[in-house]
Amino acid sequence: MGDKENIKRLLQEAELYQGQGLLSEARLKYDAALDLIKNNPRIKNKEKLLAGLAKKINMLEVNTQKVEMGPSSPELSSRAQDLIQKLFSFSKEESEEEAALEGALALAKFGQFERALAEFNQLIANETHRLVAAKNVLRCHIALDSEELAGDKYEEWAKSDMFTHDQLETLRVFMEQVLESKGVDRKLTVVGVKAEAVVEEKKEEEFIDISSIGIYLDSGPGKGKVVEFDVNFQSGNLLSLIVSKKDGTMIEHLAIDNQLEDLQFYSPIAIFNGSGVVAAKSEIKSGPKQGDYCLDIKITST
Amino acid sequence: MAIFNLKKREIECKIVYYGPGRGGKTTNLEYIFKTFRKQITGEMVSINTEGDRTLFFDFLPMGLGKIKGCEIKVQLYTVPGQVRYSSTRKLVLRGVDGIVFVADSLEVRREKNMLSLKDLQSNLKEYGLNIFKVPLVLQYNKRDLGEQDIPVMSIEQMDRDMNRQLKVPSFPGSALKGDGVGVALKECMMLTLKSLQKELKWAQ
Repeated sequence: MGDKENIKRLLQEAELYQGQGLLSEARLKYDAALDLIKNNPRIKNKEKLLAGLAKKINMLEVNTQKVEMGPSSPELSSRAQDLIQKLFSFSKEESEEEAALEGALALAKFGQFERALAEFNQLIANETHRLVAAKNVLRCHIALDSEELAGDKYEEWAKSDMFTHDQLETLRVFMEQVLESKGVDRKLTVVGVKAEAVVEEKKEEEFIDISSIGIYLDSGPGKGKVVEFDVNFQSGNLLSLIVSKKDGTMIEHLAIDNQLEDLQFYSPIAIFNGSGVVAAKSEIKSGPKQGDYCLDIKITST
Repeated sequence: MAIFNLKKREIECKIVYYGPGRGGKTTNLEYIFKTFRKQITGEMVSINTEGDRTLFFDFLPMGLGKIKGCEIKVQLYTVPGQVRYSSTRKLVLRGVDGIVFVADSLEVRREKNMLSLKDLQSNLKEYGLNIFKVPLVLQYNKRDLGEQDIPVMSIEQMDRDMNRQLKVPSFPGSALKGDGVGVALKECMMLTLKSLQKELKWAQ
């Protein structure tokens, strides 16, 4: 195939790829055509051709930038938000409260922070999910760049009797970590901290917030599988998971002090591997989560 | 995981269209929406961004009617193919019952196909699912571009690249023209229902 045909073919491919939205592939073909034109002394109207091609490449770059700079999570219509909430409430058949939490978490994951905030604020009334909802209220405020409001919210809770002292301490440590990472110098009210909690605080701050954990099962009915559980509560290197009764068989072989290798930790900023140990395991005997299991895992290395 | 409402004798299952970005997942759903009107039970919802790229997911609800005394509802989803949306892709995959993997036949997308299939495998693994066991079909999309002298891979090469170990049903297709869309969906639905029957024994 001669250079002329080659150039024609490359341009045809480039245009098709561009039309398909395959922008980097289109760019490669345009660049290859550009090189061929530049290096072939026999091509007539070279300058005109090169100028035309430069124009095309320029347009392609504009399009590429538009795609790359486009919002990763724009605010959606309330109809679309309703749909997200409905479709991603996986436990709707089992527990309305759990489904409401899942729906709110999905809204937050899809970047619909304003709406998620409203949902989490409502969920705080529910004792079972109070702490998780409160943490997510703070997260949503922070995602909306309103660290100030997040701090005010914490202070409002500190004055109320809605949370236990331990819960408030968890929220305070979490908030102060975030504020510090954002360069905001604000000290939050400490409510009834136990002496050992202050000592532990330094340790806790070293752990980033983990949203879910993947456990490799090396025995039992799920042998060879990696099961993922959401972290319901985290205090430093101790993660508390609620495992629904339907998944109970997956963890039935786990006992206190069992070493867990190949753990995968998922946090909003990173995914990393590590190991841990089963610190506690118990069946929930009453309340809406009756029959589910509470599993505590202590992270030993990451 | 499908929802089986024993009282209403109703099963709601989830089929996800997975694959590399710009491979034709949304076009598959659009064709289904246009063509299978009788089975469509609601509007198709697409959440797009700049340049018509799927931002979060597309959603299309279908009803297959009664099969062995059970009302079968199917929810079709697409995932965003772009690499940067990996967390939403994973969320959409949660609770999946069957998968149509839409691979791009263009030669220049060979590596992207394989990376996407690997991404599918690792996301399934995180939900405790095995790619070798989950109901899965492959669709080799954009076959029509070969007629326009654009370099496309041969079916044999795509099978070697992606299906050598999986050995799942594969279909050539052109979602734009509708070729191979219905057949891939039907096969995936059949495999999904068979798998659910094994698990839920709803047809007894």
